[in-house]
Amino acid sequence: MNSNLSRILKGIGAFLAAVAILAYLGYLFVFVLYAVDLFQWPFDYDQGEGFELYDAILYSRGEWPYKDNAVYPFYASNYPPLFHLLIIPLLPVFGPYVVAGRVVSFVATLVIGGTIFFVVRRKVKGWFIPLVSGLAFFASSHVYQTGPLCRMHMTMVMFETLAVAFIAGFDHPKHGTRNLILGLVMLFCAGYTKQMAVFTVIAALSYIFLRDVKKAIVSGVALTVVVGAVFWLLNAATDGQWWVNTIQANVNEFKYLQTIFFLNQWFRLHPLLILLAAVYLVYELFWDRLSVYSLWFFFAMGTGLLSGKWGAGFNYFTTAIAAACITSGLALGRLQKAASRRRTLDEQAQSFLDTTVASASLASGAALGRLKGLLGRRAAAQPLRDAASSAASATRFSPKRAWHLSQSRLHKLQPWTAPLLAIIIPLLYLLQASLMLHMPTSGPVFGPLARAFGVADKLVLVEGEAHCRTYQYHDSMGYTQLGHLLVEEDYAAGGEILAYVLTSDGPVFSEEAMFSLLAGEPVVTNPTQLRNLYLNGSLDTTDIVGRINRQEFGVVIFRARFYPDPVLVAIGQNYTTVETVCMNSFKYDILLPNRLLVDSQAP
Amino acid sequence: MRPVAPPIPLCYNAARMITKRQLGIIVILLTLIGMAGIVGVDVVGAGEWGGFGPLQQIGAGVGVAGILAGVILILRGNRPA
Repeated sequence: MNSNLSRILKGIGAFLAAVAILAYLGYLFVFVLYAVDLFQWPFDYDQGEGFELYDAILYSRGEWPYKDNAVYPFYASNYPPLFHLLIIPLLPVFGPYVVAGRVVSFVATLVIGGTIFFVVRRKVKGWFIPLVSGLAFFASSHVYQTGPLCRMHMTMVMFETLAVAFIAGFDHPKHGTRNLILGLVMLFCAGYTKQMAVFTVIAALSYIFLRDVKKAIVSGVALTVVVGAVFWLLNAATDGQWWVNTIQANVNEFKYLQTIFFLNQWFRLHPLLILLAAVYLVYELFWDRLSVYSLWFFFAMGTGLLSGKWGAGFNYFTTAIAAACITSGLALGRLQKAASRRRTLDEQAQSFLDTTVASASLASGAALGRLKGLLGRRAAAQPLRDAASSAASATRFSPKRAWHLSQSRLHKLQPWTAPLLAIIIPLLYLLQASLMLHMPTSGPVFGPLARAFGVADKLVLVEGEAHCRTYQYHDSMGYTQLGHLLVEEDYAAGGEILAYVLTSDGPVFSEEAMFSLLAGEPVVTNPTQLRNLYLNGSLDTTDIVGRINRQEFGVVIFRARFYPDPVLVAIGQNYTTVETVCMNSFKYDILLPNRLLVDSQAP
Repeated sequence: MRPVAPPIPLCYNAARMITKRQLGIIVILLTLIGMAGIVGVDVVGAGEWGGFGPLQQIGAGVGVAGILAGVILILRGNRPA
């Protein structure tokens, strides 16, 4: 190959790599900007943030958030405690404000991206692929929108990512036991942050099972015993309310069309990451050894498939995005390595031993004898035939040999493939970056950029029946309630609603907790929890409806009317809407008790 | 005297690991159990739809893919999974 042409190709590759890094750093900047904007916002941005904070406050007071929902204040949490416990140390720093939880989530998101970088860096030569793999996580619209929220999801994904990174090294000759224990601890933490981590537990234990059946059984039993013991203790300490609130209340209706919608959206936003991860999974499954990362990607899609549950959202795919960032990076690294043929002597010898030693060892009959009863392997009775078969297979066609053959062909094209890949890989990452485009569309920096990208007039939230404000923000995912920056009118609206709460002559009945928390009032009701339990036939509404009928609550604040039907009917009969305030693009209905309105109308 | 290079460490225990063939058998068994569950939903009368519903059709499609993957894995023989 002409050395000048080679230099030109390498130069173009380096330029494209720099542009790709710049693009992904741009996404990181947008993410940090959004996070800082949210840190200043004192009210709920996403419905549920205030409840997470309130759980942390309850723990800091030594109270359980798992209570009887039929008894005043009709409040209970439906999540495990770890995220809330992590917020507690920040409460003295930030005060009882939602920023404490948002900082925890933000840091967790950064840790995930950093872990992805380190995992890929350990396996892939160079800095570009590991760096962009880590940055790609922040660039995902799904991650960007939920990363800095006071919700536990990112903390769960952080523990999942750390668990997988540790479990990957469970068979390390020196630190294997340490890695395994740390991995299991991280799995425990993930599960006690959010129940959905169960799919990562399955992935991790499956990986151990493939490599060491005995260790997998011991690990699985140990984890089950510890998780079960803590579960039992929590249930006993809360008189059974732990079970009611974290298990029963999470059994919701499932709409498969909703899953398909989110699945389609996930694929549309991350096609290259997903396809690379899927191809790498198939390659490892049939032609190499399955890595924990590919297994994680596979099982993480199971988490995503649960997004059809009522109340679920696109964030159910966050674990799969983290796994795809890792496995796509590993796939490209593998491709790069194959093209440059930089396999060391040790690696080639290891690869040879992987096949020959395994076959010979199994053929010896000792291992097969143990597995015979379990799996009924025909070969167990004929170890010699297996050994002969393995030896004979060396001369038959196999996809692995085809792969090696193509590698040797690539080797002949080596002068071309490496420089071409140096161009193709950054181009792929740039294409992926363009598909996840999200950014504010106004201001001295983002205004011209949005015009340059042709998205200046594409606003995500528009005024209409469901929403009441337009934001200068674009997101490739289309309609979304999250991601935009807040404006002055939102702060003014929040103050207006808070004024009703501060002048209330009774407890505040609000669908969002932050109004009550900011006013120093007790948090009354968790609407989605009440709804779910009511629909499952596990909620007695007698007391709550009685209090509404007696008009004990000084003000009612609705945003989405998630409450059970009897509660909504009782409020409709005893409270009247006095104002609708537009905040964060949502219409908040303020209702006052009829007794006040009658009094004020009296002569 | 030249120092002897240490042997390349084997990062797995061959006696305790699973082969592609064994993984294929496990995948097929799990898929068959899953497909029995899909059909069993109609037997016990659960589910939203009468007859073979859309979720069952998706499940059956995934099941066919699972069995196909299992068969290919069995053909891969004693290679480590």
